[in-house]
Amino acid sequence: MSAAHLRPFFLALALTIIWASTAQAKSITIDDSGSQALAPSVAMRWKTAAPARSAADNVMLGTTTIRVRINVMPWLRHSGRIYLALPAQQPGPIGLSWITQGRLLPGQVRSGNRVLVYAGPITTPFMEDTLTFEFSVAGSLMQRAVPVTYHFEMDED
Amino acid sequence: MALDPASPQAIYLQVGVGSFTADYCGGTSYPPLHATPNCGPAYGGGTPQNNATVNSVSATVAAAAVGNSTAQAMTTNSTATNSFLDGYLFCSVPAQLYIGGFYRTTGAATAAAQVTVTVPSALTNSAGNSIPFSKIQWTSSGNGDTGAEPFPAGTFINGGVQTIGSMASNTWNESCWTFSYLNNTVPPAGTYTGVVLYTMTTP
Repeated sequence: MSAAHLRPFFLALALTIIWASTAQAKSITIDDSGSQALAPSVAMRWKTAAPARSAADNVMLGTTTIRVRINVMPWLRHSGRIYLALPAQQPGPIGLSWITQGRLLPGQVRSGNRVLVYAGPITTPFMEDTLTFEFSVAGSLMQRAVPVTYHFEMDED
Repeated sequence: MALDPASPQAIYLQVGVGSFTADYCGGTSYPPLHATPNCGPAYGGGTPQNNATVNSVSATVAAAAVGNSTAQAMTTNSTATNSFLDGYLFCSVPAQLYIGGFYRTTGAATAAAQVTVTVPSALTNSAGNSIPFSKIQWTSSGNGDTGAEPFPAGTFINGGVQTIGSMASNTWNESCWTFSYLNNTVPPAGTYTGVVLYTMTTP
């Protein structure tokens, strides 16, 4: 095959990549400064009082309640998808599961990922819900108290 | 917000009978490998309890056999046969004495917790006669066990503190001990007793 015959194929491929890039939704961190954690720290306890024969199953769990109030005014009267994002952070892999009162979706996420908690029209300036978080971390990573961060992201339609 | 290890450390040592609210039953195999009728809530595990029982190990040597150098098997009044780890029938009574436990701590694996026994110099009778504690030894095993035991075979020292095993952090450790009296001396007739104290020390 000659080089001349290859050229249209490369051009088409390049155009496809550019198109895909421009079609990606834009993620914006939502202002959740109105949210409130009922306790500033999450008491982490062993999932089981006793360990297994090997040191393979040593998870610590901690529960806390968050009154979520996120400012979605910039997207009022639009549709969007809201995600709860748990960034990759110290001390290492963190699991988070949560239940809600119904305004947002329950779910679970591993650090470094995000999960959809709402999809649809934004009809009010603020969205509120009460979330019960349960964090899980390997006990081997929990030498001392460590900060943990999460945030909400909006993907605009 | 911060994640704070609120109850990071716990230790449990059981020699003879012990108490758990239910079997642990957790680990890496779900459902557990053995029949486990006493699993903790939803396999979430049981919780260790305090048990103040002091068990005994004893042997009665027939007059004709005293001092003949034939080791005399000792038996225990302990009824602990099943492991609280998973309910598995681990020790056989009255021939064997259960010993086991764990050491919980957060962070990376630490140095092992040490298990020691404080031993008097001798067993004594009401007349003041004595038998050295070093006349008592034990072997170590456990139903289904292969490889090294966490609490290996040994012989008591004559007074002092001796290490009888160790527990790596965040692991369950258990063995079954079979005691015997060496019976290679001829002490005056009588009932000889002595009490040893087992202690677990974390790093």
